[in-house]
Amino acid sequence: MKKLDLRVKDYPELAISWETTLINKTGTWRTFYPKYLSKTPPCNYYCPANENIQKYIALSLKGEFEEAYLTILEKNPFPSITGRVCYHPCETGCNRGKFDESIAIHTIERFIGDYGLNFVEPKRRIEKLTNDKKVAIIGSGPSGLSCAYYLLSNGVKVTILEREEYPGGILFYGIPSYRLPKEIVKREVEKLIKRGAKFIFGKELGKDFSLDDLTKEYDAVFLAIGAQIEQELGVPNEEAKGVLMGLEFLKTINLKRKIKDFGKNVLVIGGGNTAIDCARTALRKGAKVKILYRRTKEEMPAVKEEVEEAIKEGIEIIFLTAPVRVIKDKKGKVKGLECVKMKLSEEVDETGRRKPIPIKDSNFVIKCDTIIKAIGERVDLNILPKEIISKRTILADEFGKTNIEKVFAGGDCVTGPKTVVEAIAYGRRAAAFILHYLKNYELPPKEIFNLVDYENLNTYYFEKQKRIEESKLPVNKRKRNFKEIIATLSDQDIKYEAGRCFSCGVCNKCDNCYVFCPDLAILKKNGEYEILYDYCKGCGVCAHECPRNVISMFFEEEK
Amino acid sequence: MKEGLIYGKKKVVTGNHAVSYGVLLSRAEVIAAYPITPQTQIVELLSEFCASGLLKAKFIKVESEHSAMAACVGAAAAGCRTFTATSAHGLALMHEMLHWAVGGRLPIVLANVNRAMGPGWSVWTDQNDSLSQRDVGFVQFYCESNQEVLDTTIQAFKIAETCLIPVMLVLDAFVLSHTSEPVDIPYQEDVDKFLPPYKPKYFLDINDPRAFGGLTSPDHYYEIRYKIEEAHRKALKVSEEVDNEFYQIFGRKYGLVESYQCEDAKLILVTSGTITGTARQVIDEERSKGKRVGLLKIRLFRPSPIPQIKEILTKAERVAVIDRNISFGHSGIFCQEIKSILYNEIRKPMIFGFVIGLGGRDVVPDDIREIIDFAYKADYPEEMVYFRGVRL
Repeated sequence: MKKLDLRVKDYPELAISWETTLINKTGTWRTFYPKYLSKTPPCNYYCPANENIQKYIALSLKGEFEEAYLTILEKNPFPSITGRVCYHPCETGCNRGKFDESIAIHTIERFIGDYGLNFVEPKRRIEKLTNDKKVAIIGSGPSGLSCAYYLLSNGVKVTILEREEYPGGILFYGIPSYRLPKEIVKREVEKLIKRGAKFIFGKELGKDFSLDDLTKEYDAVFLAIGAQIEQELGVPNEEAKGVLMGLEFLKTINLKRKIKDFGKNVLVIGGGNTAIDCARTALRKGAKVKILYRRTKEEMPAVKEEVEEAIKEGIEIIFLTAPVRVIKDKKGKVKGLECVKMKLSEEVDETGRRKPIPIKDSNFVIKCDTIIKAIGERVDLNILPKEIISKRTILADEFGKTNIEKVFAGGDCVTGPKTVVEAIAYGRRAAAFILHYLKNYELPPKEIFNLVDYENLNTYYFEKQKRIEESKLPVNKRKRNFKEIIATLSDQDIKYEAGRCFSCGVCNKCDNCYVFCPDLAILKKNGEYEILYDYCKGCGVCAHECPRNVISMFFEEEK
Repeated sequence: MKEGLIYGKKKVVTGNHAVSYGVLLSRAEVIAAYPITPQTQIVELLSEFCASGLLKAKFIKVESEHSAMAACVGAAAAGCRTFTATSAHGLALMHEMLHWAVGGRLPIVLANVNRAMGPGWSVWTDQNDSLSQRDVGFVQFYCESNQEVLDTTIQAFKIAETCLIPVMLVLDAFVLSHTSEPVDIPYQEDVDKFLPPYKPKYFLDINDPRAFGGLTSPDHYYEIRYKIEEAHRKALKVSEEVDNEFYQIFGRKYGLVESYQCEDAKLILVTSGTITGTARQVIDEERSKGKRVGLLKIRLFRPSPIPQIKEILTKAERVAVIDRNISFGHSGIFCQEIKSILYNEIRKPMIFGFVIGLGGRDVVPDDIREIIDFAYKADYPEEMVYFRGVRL
């Protein structure tokens, strides 16, 4: 403080401090302190493979598609496949969905996957990491291929035994090519071949070799045999000519072979993805198709978009109806199906859905000449040793470890019928454990999720923006062929869509904290923010104004 | 909006838009305002100027007038040329922040459209809103015409920035705000010559952080307040200089007060705002009938142009002050001001106070004539204040 003989002329025009305010360490006033934290966006959280979606979207926004591709590969080796067929729970969880429309993440993943196949893979150097360990993988479906990729990437020699003549399992034999072209499967599999994977086709477990044979020859065995046995309806006359199995039907078509006893009026039974695939495939084969489902549209396990597309293509879905009896003619050929109307009871089954029960005296007949059964699949347990199976599946922990030394398992054969992405994730986790088992690699650390909810965001800073739309073949141009329906978007479209991402929980240097800090206590250093705790009063403005909940406030005691 | 369509032309514009053009030409850098009738058109047009890029200013939308002035205080403290506009209740809500603008010595320009205070709810003109802010320390100008509104806007920035004191320019609701008149819109280069960019003496500088407006002990407060008084005294001089300088470039001047036909006047009317225009006409008529009447228009209310007022009014025998405002329990506010200025003069006139036209009631030539007749003939102002036109 200056002496008091100051005169008016000695004063400034306004009450302004004589000296710099930096001497006033306002940080001592603080009871809360802010901290930058990287949190979990819901897309990453809900992705069964825990892909770092936020990161690859951020990279895509900058046009760094190669980096984006490599980011996906850390968790999922086949983005071209999942970008097309995944049911994208990431989008269901996406916080933007509560604001306007969720980010079309699958379109971005697909673009990046295709970009990787076209531009990254051809020039990608493959590290020669060969070592003396060798692993046999039974089955070349998504979990087998995924496990193989991560083992190969770590120098393990991999032999994949496939009972069919092409690799891919459900990817090749199950999913129709209008959703997933064979070319894509082929190119994804080539990644493995380039990395030295050895494929043996036409050899089947329990017939051509036993598990014992493999454990003797290999250091480890990964069972990825999927769920291949199709369930029967359990109604009279099921054996009639013209009653087909769903997966079997799809396989025949995918192999471009002729179907025996395939008529013009097709009735598909079931409400899952296999049923929808069968129906749309039958349509493309020139049939008039109806789907029979015993519950309502709400309960259908099939992906919603697929159901809508099927309806658009002219497929009729008869809800709340169950089969009673196949009606056959004198030659033993199907001529109709006796059905019964159902209603949903109050009782809930193990899937959490209301159980359908028949309505008395509501039986009626649907005329048809072909019936395709697609009511579910189960694991073929007959070919497996007793000690590693439970009632329905193989027994294994989350890393695929079974009760038999050297034997690991993953994918549908452990989980029961699930999705491509879950199988891929399982394959990756099993590979990590096999590497731990064989090479003493460290297991990946358990992921800690600090989920950012919509309520945590400060949406004041976002504007409504339309979700990008994929271009689709018009119905009349796709109904009679197997051309891929959806086209990959352009890089401009992808950047637009990536620009809609909130980047929940992950700092994208928007500068809000820097701008709003009333004490100028946030600095920028080398592109990162630094809080000057000497001056931060802990007011929390930075945390409040952060649009994406990156900054959290903590009690000073907790520091 | 193309520049060529605006500048250097005579345009027919409302009082509100005259303010907007004045702010545009003054190149304000930050504008923060909240809409209120009858002011809204001012910032509406400014927001369009900002949107079209014609005016390179940050237009801050706020949730209240209190915030509008707070935003202006912040912007001005950062060193920007800053403008806001309001009216009546909006100005009342700003009250606290008006003190901040003055105490912070921030040269903010505020356009206030005189509107009567509610309740009873009113949108029409009287002066109680701005006169209620008399003692916050803003410079106050009362305008008579749309041309004067535009010119005063430009002058206001110069006075404010020279003296580091905020300026309020005041125009009557509807009579000016929504009434179109031909107005000369100056060329931008002329205005630029007259009003160079603002170079703040004090501003928030992150490289030399200082506390602004912090706790000031009784040992220092008075001296800093005295500097505001000094600034007002300076503003009186500066306003005159600025007006003269303006005249050099644009050929128009208004004076701090305007004396009309006062030389040999027995009675001088004192008016402000648009009543002046009406009174001027009546004065001409009365003069032609031989009555020795004159008119003193008060344009600058604060700082009070005391010497000018003294010089003119002490020559008259009678003064009639017409107030479109009221200080309840006392009299019209301009009347009090005039009385206090003249009290210690040895030669002083009789002063009649008239309150008229509250809440926007029309003040017509007959009203002025009656006031003149009364004040011309009455023996003595028996009443402290005469309420003209009230239906008792």
